[in-house]
Amino acid sequence: MTDLGALHRETAGRGGPRLPGPDVRATAPEGEPAPTPRRGTADPVKALLHRHRELCERAVDPLEIAAGLEAHGITDRTAARFRHRDVFSLAEELYARVPRDGGTQPSAATALPRVRADWIVFTLLPGALCVASLIALRLTHGQTRLLAAATGVLAVALALRAALRRGPLSTGDPTSAASRRSTTASWTCWLTGYALLGDGLLGTAITGGPDGLPTGTAEGDWPLTTAPVLALTLSCAPAAWTAHLFSARARRRLVSSRGLEDFAASVRPVLFGAFALFLCALGALGALSAALLDEPSAHPQTLTLGALLFLARLLTVHGFTHAPKVVLAATVTAQAAALATVFAARLPGCAPLAAPVDALATAWGPAALPTLICGAAALTLLIHASRKLARASAHTHPEQPR
Amino acid sequence: MRIGLLTEDGYPYVSGGAGLWCDRLVRGLDRHEFDVYAFSRSEAQEDAGWVPLPPQVGRVRTAPLWTAEDDGVVYGRRARRRFTEHYGELAAVLCTAADPAAPGTVRAAAPGAHREPAGTARPASEADRFATALNGLAELARDEGGLVAALRSETAVRALERACRAPRALSTAREARVPDLLAVAAHLEQALRPLSLDWYEEDGLGAVDLCHATAGGAAALPGLLAHHFFGIPLLVTEYGVRLRTHYLTRPDSSPAVRSLLAAFHGRLAAETYRRAAFITPGNAHARRWQERCGADRAKLRTVHPGMDAAPFGEVGESPESADPHTLVWVGRVEPAKDLVSLLHAFAEIRKEEPRTRLRIVGGPSGAEGADYLGHCKALAAQLFPDEAEGPHSVGDNPVSFEEIGGPDLPTAADAYAAGAVVVLSSVVEGFPAGLVEAMLCGRATVSTDVGAVVEAIGGTGLVVPPRNPRALAEACVSLLRDPARRERLGAAARARALELFTVEQNVAAFHSLYLETVARTPVRRLLLNDDGDPLPFATPAEAHVPGHWTDRAPRAVPAWATDAPVRATTPAPATEAAR
Repeated sequence: MTDLGALHRETAGRGGPRLPGPDVRATAPEGEPAPTPRRGTADPVKALLHRHRELCERAVDPLEIAAGLEAHGITDRTAARFRHRDVFSLAEELYARVPRDGGTQPSAATALPRVRADWIVFTLLPGALCVASLIALRLTHGQTRLLAAATGVLAVALALRAALRRGPLSTGDPTSAASRRSTTASWTCWLTGYALLGDGLLGTAITGGPDGLPTGTAEGDWPLTTAPVLALTLSCAPAAWTAHLFSARARRRLVSSRGLEDFAASVRPVLFGAFALFLCALGALGALSAALLDEPSAHPQTLTLGALLFLARLLTVHGFTHAPKVVLAATVTAQAAALATVFAARLPGCAPLAAPVDALATAWGPAALPTLICGAAALTLLIHASRKLARASAHTHPEQPR
Repeated sequence: MRIGLLTEDGYPYVSGGAGLWCDRLVRGLDRHEFDVYAFSRSEAQEDAGWVPLPPQVGRVRTAPLWTAEDDGVVYGRRARRRFTEHYGELAAVLCTAADPAAPGTVRAAAPGAHREPAGTARPASEADRFATALNGLAELARDEGGLVAALRSETAVRALERACRAPRALSTAREARVPDLLAVAAHLEQALRPLSLDWYEEDGLGAVDLCHATAGGAAALPGLLAHHFFGIPLLVTEYGVRLRTHYLTRPDSSPAVRSLLAAFHGRLAAETYRRAAFITPGNAHARRWQERCGADRAKLRTVHPGMDAAPFGEVGESPESADPHTLVWVGRVEPAKDLVSLLHAFAEIRKEEPRTRLRIVGGPSGAEGADYLGHCKALAAQLFPDEAEGPHSVGDNPVSFEEIGGPDLPTAADAYAAGAVVVLSSVVEGFPAGLVEAMLCGRATVSTDVGAVVEAIGGTGLVVPPRNPRALAEACVSLLRDPARRERLGAAARARALELFTVEQNVAAFHSLYLETVARTPVRRLLLNDDGDPLPFATPAEAHVPGHWTDRAPRAVPAWATDAPVRATTPAPATEAAR
């Protein structure tokens, strides 16, 4: 240390500065031995420890303290004042001396996704547009009705797209979602189309029809069932809400749980609860739309189809895209195959092909077919989701692109 | 010689911090070929484009560190087991690593970390375990792909949890909660992204004679893997120690996250230093950190950063151009520069030497710097009232804030030339580039004792403790009153800077290190003929001669050695950035 004092006297000239104590602003009177702290104590490290207490208490190893001290301008020459060879050994002493109670409070709650006005409005949009286009269908005839129907379908599709782009139903990754949407979207279109036209077609096909294109009303040869579709479009809002609720709750559980098993056990009830909530909302909306449109209520097929689409979206949102794709494809294939068997049975010698669908339709009505298929698919997805969505890695924050 | 230059956040991108010295290095060593393997730090950096490359840069391959594309490979059972094994091993090493410090330093084990079974040398075996796990993951990525998805998967999180709950885990690791585990897994995924690259092929990094990593951490990881796969020697240059930066950049995480990540980065640094043929710290401070992290002293060669001396030559040769009453401060304005202390010191100087003026030259860095600059301007206006020559002239403040590039000070050299004494008042500093520029200008300097200042200045300027305005003032006054001493110190400083801190010495140091590395640990490539038998003498001795030995007069090389031999493994197609 004397050599350090000498160095500074040499470089800074006579009456030059002394090495400062960390808290020393003014220098001691001239002529005193240089490295004496102004408010001299027997333990200079204690003062240092007091000033950097926070740094020392939260450090996980001595090197972290060393890095922090250096960032505060403490060099090896300062460390020499504390009877240490370098900053590292000073940091080691600080690390050893600071009391660690070990009790760490759980990390602060992670930022929960905010409820924002834009996605709330966008989730209400498909239902509103669907209502509007149905009213237009009721009020128009002939050519205008065709035009109204086309416009309505387009508007609802665009609104759905917008609703799935933001909020809790968005995948948060626009580039990869764009590639994925094409396949699942077409499956979803088919399923919705079947809900609209399929039951009527199946009913007439079994009895030998259809003899013409649908007229766009619930009557006639090929009746349209609009109530399920209306209920489904209206259910965008509860779907978004329950998805939001689920992810918010899951994040909260994530913060509070100690282990992965813990988390899985606590998040499963949340998933089932959110799912049940969505089903209740969808049931109510189904009853409401049936009453509004004056159609027979079609609870089973609406509920199963809604459950299937909701679970598929929930899985996709959390990054599991494979299973929804496969299950949706299988559902569509099953429905298409069932319809195809009915028509294929008209070929000579192929009559037995339609027997299963025929039996089903005569026993429980044509609605039983989509109910069964969608119900099985939704059940599969529910089991899958209860395994996949109980994983902690499904609830990580989306990566922030820089 | 073919050199694989591994860069991160710099060359060849325009907006790179370390780009300049890489550019000078590549341009200075035009007798060697360079393959640049660069990591980009952000999308904006990629969009900004590259600097013009000299012809000795043979190819440039880039990869982003800020994003990772999932290649869609889903592991089968065997691959998943392999992944779980290696990742679990990695996690276990991180959870038990008590200290990333040097092997051989004896210290008490941290609470909760028990000793290895008797008979095993603990640090060495742990370093081996870390290396084995890392190499295992790299091999898996090379064989199967799909590492990005696997590192993000639940399997990884589970392996981490298991390691944290193991009986010998660190006490901080044992307290890890689920969000901590997820944070660590996400960070590891980010840190291990270099493992998934397709650079580790015979015609990629396997074809170079030497890997030169221009930074530690992520940039050195490809070098480590090239060493593992092909035995390519590795040279690591660190101007700022990555591990230290890491400690300073994540202050908000929970203790578990910080201890696990500190263990990872410490292990990675130790492994890098262990495998490297040479390590070149940029200054003694980096050198101490490297020694502390386990670098072998025999491998350390301090290579100071080089500065371009040419712009300062004219000023340096004419010391009489300085205004004898002016102090100059040059740099980026930010709180770490402690301009407040400088202004207080200047107030003391004015008491002794009332004619003195202070010119603060430099723009603010960032929003914080802009705030600080405003604060300093207000303080200067408060401390020093405007003063005029006589009763009829317009007054002026003795402290002026200027920027380089204005009509008054077109270049940095002019800024240094304006003052008799150059002052540096920082409280935190790495390698003081501004100080070296002042030295090249032949100016006497007064600087605070921070970072590598003493190392740079040697005995050719005055050094005072940081945060000590009175000491700074006394040193400045003593220089202002003694022109002869000023001149002496300035000349000595210029001589020292020209000797130690020029681009030429930097390039020459690396050139000799390259040759020494290749001479010590040459890459032995086994070449095979079409039947798969080894081809003796396929690599003639001249291959190791530096420079383009094939371009000169044709040498007598056997015909069988020149028709394209086949390497031991077939190279896979590699995507390559066009240049």
